[in-house]
Amino acid sequence: MTEKKRVALVIGAGSVKCAAALGLWKVLKREGIELDLVVGCSGGSLYATLMALGYDVEECEAMTIAMWNRKITRRRDYASMLGAFLPKLFRFRGYFGMVNGEPLIEALRKPFGEKRFADTKIPLYIVATELLSGQQATLSQGRIVDAVRASIAIPYIWAPWEVDGTLMLDGCLSAPLPVDVAIKEGADVILAMGFESPYPRRIRSATSYAFHVNSIYTNNLFRANYSFHNLAHHAEILPIVPDFGEPVNLFDTHKFAHVIACGERAAEEQVPYLRQLLGIGAPPATPAT
Amino acid sequence: MDIVVEQRTVTTIVRITGSVDGLTADTLLATLQQQIDAGNVRLIGDLSGVSYTSSAGLRALLATVKQARQHGGDFRLAAALPPVHKVLEMSGFTSILKMFPDVDLAVASFPA
Repeated sequence: MTEKKRVALVIGAGSVKCAAALGLWKVLKREGIELDLVVGCSGGSLYATLMALGYDVEECEAMTIAMWNRKITRRRDYASMLGAFLPKLFRFRGYFGMVNGEPLIEALRKPFGEKRFADTKIPLYIVATELLSGQQATLSQGRIVDAVRASIAIPYIWAPWEVDGTLMLDGCLSAPLPVDVAIKEGADVILAMGFESPYPRRIRSATSYAFHVNSIYTNNLFRANYSFHNLAHHAEILPIVPDFGEPVNLFDTHKFAHVIACGERAAEEQVPYLRQLLGIGAPPATPAT
Repeated sequence: MDIVVEQRTVTTIVRITGSVDGLTADTLLATLQQQIDAGNVRLIGDLSGVSYTSSAGLRALLATVKQARQHGGDFRLAAALPPVHKVLEMSGFTSILKMFPDVDLAVASFPA
């Protein structure tokens, strides 16, 4: 007897690009393909969480538009910056972030509130990085809002976030596409939606230089990890890499519809193979209207 | 998936059409293994007809590279389409395999 294959969706770091996962999710819903677990990192943690909590695609889209916009970066954290650049005059806390984190946590509280991992309909895993040890942290219990906040703590932009007494930074610093979590949790078929950070044509400021250097690290880490996971997995990893045809930057929320459509198209290309792999028949017929 | 094998000078060209994935990897690996067993270790994978590759497909390609090199030859790839090239790049294959934009260049890369 063939056992049912466990299917995991892994959504990597990629800010607005991660909304492509909603396109993929539309396709999975349409095809009646259920997920056994969802893993998210950084921007991907937002979508992984919304899916795991059982929101539908339209709700997810509306929630992310309300949550992920320039309001969350408008306020600067001057105290943090003074501490970083003038440590003799102002106390340095051991880390810093240029942007005040209050609007971000407020924005995250709207959809996630006091929800906990135990409230999800699909098992959820969120990846962050421990600040002091540099270790990858896989969060799967406690308050979801804390896990997501830690997972999207972009270095230098937002300060790290404390989870269970440990300061944590963006998951992309240790696992930009955490396929390893799905392997470890026993997934057979892994849908891996990952994104590399685009490089700017010109570096015009210290901030964009910092972003650029960060992208070099994380893109190389992405490839190194992905190479190993591909060879280490006993079953199948399906890379789902949408082609956006244009740069999609950190707050290009006006491109949501385009990003979702690209994700949907990339997922549709995998459907025939996925159905064969899972040994499932044709999707349920849509009733005539 | 269709596989056509063609001999050209000192090389063996394996033209692959379709997806290189979990459903086809065993067939591909068996075909490539047959060539190696027959002493055809200067192999070229013509990927111009390959639309997709997954982790199982990549493992088949890697096993062939190792086998060919252990026998004094090599397995080189040619004409990968952009989506497949992207996956090969993401998976580190472009740093350990010799890749060529077309089959003629791949053939020319082997000493006569």
